[in-house]
Amino acid sequence: MKIEDVFCSKIRMKILTILNNVGELNVSEIARRLKINYVSASTHMQTLEGEGIVQHKMFGRIRLYRLNEQSPKAKAVQNLIDVWEHQKRE
Amino acid sequence: MPRGQSVFRDETKLDINYVPSKLPHREQQLRLLKEFFSFALQSPERMAQRVLITGDVGTGKTALCQRFGADITHEASTRGIKLRYIHVNCREYRGSLFLILQHVVSIFHPNFPKRGYSPEEILRTLIQILDEENTYTILSLDEFESLVEKEGQEAIYKLTRLQEMRQNKPQRLSLISIMRSLKAIEQLDASTRSTLQSNIISLQRYSKQQLIDVLNDRVLLAFKPSVVPEGTTGLISELAFSENGNARFGIELLWRAGKYADAEESDTVLPEYVRQAVSSIVPAVRRSDLATLGFHEKLLLLAIARLFKENQKASVLLAEAERAYAVACEEFDASPNSHTQLWKYLKDFTNLGIVETEVSGSGSRGRSTTISLPRIPAHELETELKNLLEKEGQNQ
Repeated sequence: MKIEDVFCSKIRMKILTILNNVGELNVSEIARRLKINYVSASTHMQTLEGEGIVQHKMFGRIRLYRLNEQSPKAKAVQNLIDVWEHQKRE
Repeated sequence: MPRGQSVFRDETKLDINYVPSKLPHREQQLRLLKEFFSFALQSPERMAQRVLITGDVGTGKTALCQRFGADITHEASTRGIKLRYIHVNCREYRGSLFLILQHVVSIFHPNFPKRGYSPEEILRTLIQILDEENTYTILSLDEFESLVEKEGQEAIYKLTRLQEMRQNKPQRLSLISIMRSLKAIEQLDASTRSTLQSNIISLQRYSKQQLIDVLNDRVLLAFKPSVVPEGTTGLISELAFSENGNARFGIELLWRAGKYADAEESDTVLPEYVRQAVSSIVPAVRRSDLATLGFHEKLLLLAIARLFKENQKASVLLAEAERAYAVACEEFDASPNSHTQLWKYLKDFTNLGIVETEVSGSGSRGRSTTISLPRIPAHELETELKNLLEKEGQNQ
């Protein structure tokens, strides 16, 4: 996927910001926090995971998503969000 | 002492959650507990321990475990062993195994979903987490009675026999069960009981002199030098001794007496302040007991306290209490719980010795439950509960 295709979605940016702030979440909780439906949240997560920006871990039936610590893309996203949020606070 | 100055140096040292670095007259039990868990510092994967600690209220069960937990995790970390000590008060989680395990998992994964799985699944999840993080856990289950009462045999069995389902794998979860007496586990079957009872540490009530030693330790930590005379600690120890050697009660009394001294702008915590404190705090029900009640339990008790305060009657009916409870719910912006739930709460209050109940006998149509409040002044109870509820409201 091209960079503009990944980051053109407002929802995906919000998901990345939330994961950057709280660490890890399951799809239902992401959907609840962003007031979107489960299927939509799940699709966005699959896109982000396909790009290697997020990863998931299974605990029985529970799937928890977090930013992929090994991925340079995720690190770049983290830096971007941190700088952005920091400047907003100043 | 100049106006506005306090007799306290650090009153948090008298808080129920404070764990002192040394525990007078519990050194031997602490050594024994460390002995039981010595394997955890050498080869923790080889076994999982189960210890039962019994003792009356205020005999130092919780403090003993917390001290042990802090010491052993520190020692383990210096040896490069990942060991966690987790202390859970079962009553705070309404004795539910699911909620207790959910809390434990949330320590490792704070955003772990709160619903959508069974207690078995969360137990497996916990073990998976411990395996993945190569961590060992000592789980202390304080007020274990409430877990036994709520969940019965099966849950305890699952907890204690967990390791048998995973042969040849590292043993991850050790248990310390803390309870007032062994009576609560008598209802369990012999095999479950035997897994719990292999190591028992019984804490005896403190003697008067032992209570003085406990109090003196806290005085040094919490108060400015020479503000608590010997007579004051002596009187408190007498009172705590008559309350079944309850050190927690003594420490709470010490704190309250200090507060009275501050209110009077006195530079000494005189025995008179202890007398005032004791009349304001009813030994049968302590702040700590009230604090562990759930939100709706507090609302119901507040309603009952108000009824007694307004009516000056010896007893009230549960139906009256329910109506007053509905008003309290409105005040605190909550939707009232059902009759059956309230009846359960009432049973809990009876078990805690806060109220007494009587169900009308045969002869009359239907049955009605009468409630009496024999030990506590209603206005004291009301004030205490209102403070707690308001605090809860602010934290939400």
